[in-house]
Amino acid sequence: MIDYDFLSASGLEEALNYLYKLNQVKVIAGGTDILVNIHNKSKRLPEISYLLDISNIGTLNFIRQVDHYVEIGPLVTHSGLMHEPLVKEKLPLLSCAAHYIGSTQIRNRGTIGGNICNASPAADLLPPLIALRAEVELTYRKGKRVLSLEEFLAGPYKTKIQINELLTKIRIPLPGDGYYTDFQKIGRRKALSISRLNLAVVVKIDEENIFRDARIVPGSATPYPQSLPGVERAVNGQSIHKINIEEIGRIMSEEVVSVTGIRWSTPYKKPVISTLVQRALKEVIKEKSKNE
Amino acid sequence: MKYHQVNKSVNRVDAYEKVTGKAKFAADLSFPDMLYAKVLRSRYPHAKINKIEIKRALTFPEVKALLTATDIPNNEFGVIIQNQQVLAKEYVYYIGDGIAVVAAETEEAAERALELIEVDYKELPGIYDPEEASKEKALRVHPELKDNQVIHHLLRKGNVNDGFTKSDIILEREYSTQFIEHSYIEPEAIVAVPYDDNHLITIYGSIQNPFSCQNAVASVLMVSLNKVRIIQNHIGGSFGGKDEVMSAMAARASVLALKTKRPIKMVNSRYESILESYKRHPYKMKYKIGASREGKLLGMEIQCIADSGAYACQTPFVTWRSVVQATGPYSLSNVKTDTYGYYTNNVYTGAMRGYGTPQTIFAQESLMDELAGELNMNPAEIRLKNIYHNNSITASGQKLDNHEVSLEEVIEKAAKESGYYKKYELYKNNKSKPGDIKRGIGMAISFRGCSLGAEAVDAAGAIVAIQKDGSILISSGLAENGQGLKTVLSQIAAEELGVDMKRVIYQELDTSISPDSGSTVASRGTILGGNAIKEAVVKLKSMLLEMMAKKYKMRKDYIIIQDDYLIDRKTEKKLLSFEETVSLAYQEGLCLSAFGWYKAPDISWNEETGQGRPYFTYVYGCQIAEVEVDTGTGKVDLLKMTAAHDVGRAINPACLKGQIYGGVMMGMGYGLMEELETDKGYIKNANFDEYLIPTIKDMPEINPIIVENPDPNGPFGAKSIGEPTLEIGAAAIANAVAQATGKRIRHLPLNLERVLLGYSLSKGGRKK
Amino acid sequence: MNKTKVTFKVNRKQVFLEVGPKERLIDTLRNQLKLTGTKEGCGIGECGACTVILNGEAVHSCLILTGQLEGSEVLTVEGLEIKGKPDPLQQAFIDCNAVQCGFCTPGMLMSAKALLMHNPHPTREEIKTALEGNLCRCTGYEQIIEAIESVAK
Repeated sequence: MIDYDFLSASGLEEALNYLYKLNQVKVIAGGTDILVNIHNKSKRLPEISYLLDISNIGTLNFIRQVDHYVEIGPLVTHSGLMHEPLVKEKLPLLSCAAHYIGSTQIRNRGTIGGNICNASPAADLLPPLIALRAEVELTYRKGKRVLSLEEFLAGPYKTKIQINELLTKIRIPLPGDGYYTDFQKIGRRKALSISRLNLAVVVKIDEENIFRDARIVPGSATPYPQSLPGVERAVNGQSIHKINIEEIGRIMSEEVVSVTGIRWSTPYKKPVISTLVQRALKEVIKEKSKNE
Repeated sequence: MKYHQVNKSVNRVDAYEKVTGKAKFAADLSFPDMLYAKVLRSRYPHAKINKIEIKRALTFPEVKALLTATDIPNNEFGVIIQNQQVLAKEYVYYIGDGIAVVAAETEEAAERALELIEVDYKELPGIYDPEEASKEKALRVHPELKDNQVIHHLLRKGNVNDGFTKSDIILEREYSTQFIEHSYIEPEAIVAVPYDDNHLITIYGSIQNPFSCQNAVASVLMVSLNKVRIIQNHIGGSFGGKDEVMSAMAARASVLALKTKRPIKMVNSRYESILESYKRHPYKMKYKIGASREGKLLGMEIQCIADSGAYACQTPFVTWRSVVQATGPYSLSNVKTDTYGYYTNNVYTGAMRGYGTPQTIFAQESLMDELAGELNMNPAEIRLKNIYHNNSITASGQKLDNHEVSLEEVIEKAAKESGYYKKYELYKNNKSKPGDIKRGIGMAISFRGCSLGAEAVDAAGAIVAIQKDGSILISSGLAENGQGLKTVLSQIAAEELGVDMKRVIYQELDTSISPDSGSTVASRGTILGGNAIKEAVVKLKSMLLEMMAKKYKMRKDYIIIQDDYLIDRKTEKKLLSFEETVSLAYQEGLCLSAFGWYKAPDISWNEETGQGRPYFTYVYGCQIAEVEVDTGTGKVDLLKMTAAHDVGRAINPACLKGQIYGGVMMGMGYGLMEELETDKGYIKNANFDEYLIPTIKDMPEINPIIVENPDPNGPFGAKSIGEPTLEIGAAAIANAVAQATGKRIRHLPLNLERVLLGYSLSKGGRKK
Repeated sequence: MNKTKVTFKVNRKQVFLEVGPKERLIDTLRNQLKLTGTKEGCGIGECGACTVILNGEAVHSCLILTGQLEGSEVLTVEGLEIKGKPDPLQQAFIDCNAVQCGFCTPGMLMSAKALLMHNPHPTREEIKTALEGNLCRCTGYEQIIEAIESVAK
């Protein structure tokens, strides 16, 4: 039986004070992961003495553009990402990926902050956020620090958040002109589906139709989402007309396997991640051609 | 004939209470002074229990009682073979076996107390594969038995070797199917109330078969049947699944209730439900088929091995239906079929919608397509060449001479509506590249024996009570499980009586009032229950007409009841309203209640030969699936399902369509995504996050085609629909996928890995 | 274990409650408020039987702690009928045979109601998206969609 006391913070300062003063505090926002873990008495749960509710801290729920960044509060729900015009327009990759999460009820309640802090290998938002070079702002009683999301993730269900810190902002640099994005997902059914594999691609296509700055991040493929420099290098510098997409698929598969080693699921995931990267690249090429 | 109440899509009689949240399911009930009970289940799939230490749990405040096997008066029960434990005594035979049960003031306290029970186990090696279990030297699941065989059924017709000798082509193939969880959305729930209304124990619950539950509880308590009263609640789906598992639960709750003299409520979580409840049998099937060059079937040899899990449960009857229907609806002079069930230490298996046919249909209908492929014939053509017609003789030697054998009609109607022939040719000639998205179309057909057949006594009763104001109460011994039985039987009663259905109220099944009518299974609700209701109404009507004949000095057969009036048939003059007539009858002292009893026509079965007349009538169906397969990822998209079913007569077409839509979706789950995964007896996916059933997003376009050939033995010609809709879908999908990909998958489900790689994967590694 | 005081609205009525740290909204509804129309099917947000409308959005009442709800508004299936008159959506479920066992029905209705509150004329695809988190094992969903379409025209 998991026992804990319930705390509720109405402001950021109050929350940070709780985190500073008390031990074994677990933060709850939408609850769509943590309450499942509590229900299941999951072994992934740390010892909890307190559950600290931050869901009513209004100042953590925002989406705004600041210079060349979109800033998103951790309490923004997946539905918020799907419907907020700024995200739809400037970061379509993110709102597209949000569509694939769970179900309407989960998306209405689950938050971007929770998705990041839960750090599931199959999280649908993490590959797009990594590919978009998102940064996370962590606040503690006396200050704050900023890490790139990729740096923040430390392993399956593990992050570098300290016990007295709260995730307070997600900052995403706006991709400049000429950037294209795509999201692919394979699940066992069409809704309420954990990604068997997913993939986020962000890439620039320059005036000469050359791929630049490719960011290719698969989900459910590696122990936790990470970008794959090998395949990114292979894409960069190639012409969209001449690129050997099948070869990119092969390189992608090899690189994923080199990260994971041969596992029980490799016979399936190896060919399919290749399919997904090929499809994603074809999509961005198609998109680029449409724009001409 | 023109109908007024049946053959109409009237609204369900229980819909209002269900859409307003007023309908009470068992978990919604509470009684004064009620306690809550929780079960401690096994830690191992197979172990010896050395000691159960309960002292610490008993000292826990709020705990009012704690039971282990020694507290159960008669610890073993079962409908067919009495070997299922209420609580594990010496051994646990599967991972869901209960060991102890605690009653406490709150559910949480009961759960905390469970954590304080210490069980000293000796873990034992187990047996998890029915083929292994069948071997002579195999470890025995139940040491007191001579081997692991639960049952062996056989069927012999002609000489199968002669058939193969004459054949131009012989195919031998192996198929297998998976464990399936019923996935009723309501987890099991029971409330047991002691010493109420003259009964020792009254049980409210999500119980599919109140009479089998009553039998089990009485036998466990070692008391007479009349001391145990079961009142069925609204039940949140069952599909065959809320039978033995409910009996065990009701028995545990009853013993606790009698011990504490307080009402006991037990509600399973989903996890507990999936862990303990029985599943659909996985089958391993070997089929050998011989045919002439022209596609005429000459011989079929079949061996099916069913995994019964830890207990016998319904395995003897499930495998019996398989032995009767395993060839499919094809005329064959030479058949040899053997079906077996074996004990293992897996979760036990029992009744689930389809009951031993979805497995064999998947095999036999896949095989028919494989044969068509080898002979370069169209799959529809080879079926049409071999199907049963009127007066055909089945594999079990039954002449189909008492109803319309409509296979050709259902195939042609489904083929026409789906554009089958054209699409089949189109997709056959599709020259796409590897990795592309490809389409395919596939069909499957079945014949299905209605009701129980020669498994058991097949009779049902009903009571119709006209109240003195002309309103009517009906009840039957069959249960509403969500399928719409209350509505359909109300329609039948009203139609037969010639009155508006709004007069009729159907009462919940109460074993102390309703006649024991066996179980509401085998798609027998409408046909058996409807006939019983009709029987009772006929008696009442005859009495009313006789009274009227006397009063008006007319011949009885000149009076009819129509649209709530008694009418002179010749002059069409209204004599009296129904209310006036009833009032008169009441004043004359006539009995306005009648009992109806319907016993199914005679059937027979010879266990030695598998020959006889196993069912008194059959239904026929054809489903055609159209799929799109992503050959780059293995994802199958079911685009469209055309489902043609001959139901005899549609009593309520809207409810009937509801059965078709639901059955098609369940068949889709069976074909594409559902699989209860076990690893050496442990269940790996015990909630809906990992055990996946189809969502609304997965549904294909479904085109239901209702075919009506009234059956002389059905009420207004009606037969069955519940199970036929589910049993053929997976086979049709598998055939469509095979056409799309050019690769035959012989194991269900057709998940991503099987479709892409040809085999499935699990953490244990590669599977078939 | 501490208790938390919380005030919120359920079916247009203010409630003042004391709740334990583990008490979920579904527990409060079913046990404290005796609103048993909301059902529990899985406890982990996969089946949707416990769906209620919270501040205008469909959510799982099994994945919310009641302590989180200060100042919120909750609508359950019991709140759909107004003055004994079924909501048109409820009537449509009756008329279109969208109900079989009825256990998923309250959740289906709440998901559908939340959709129609935002979008009175949804497409078939939008209906499916709104209901993708509600499992039904009986109906095959078709008649549920038809019911919602009939009030969305």
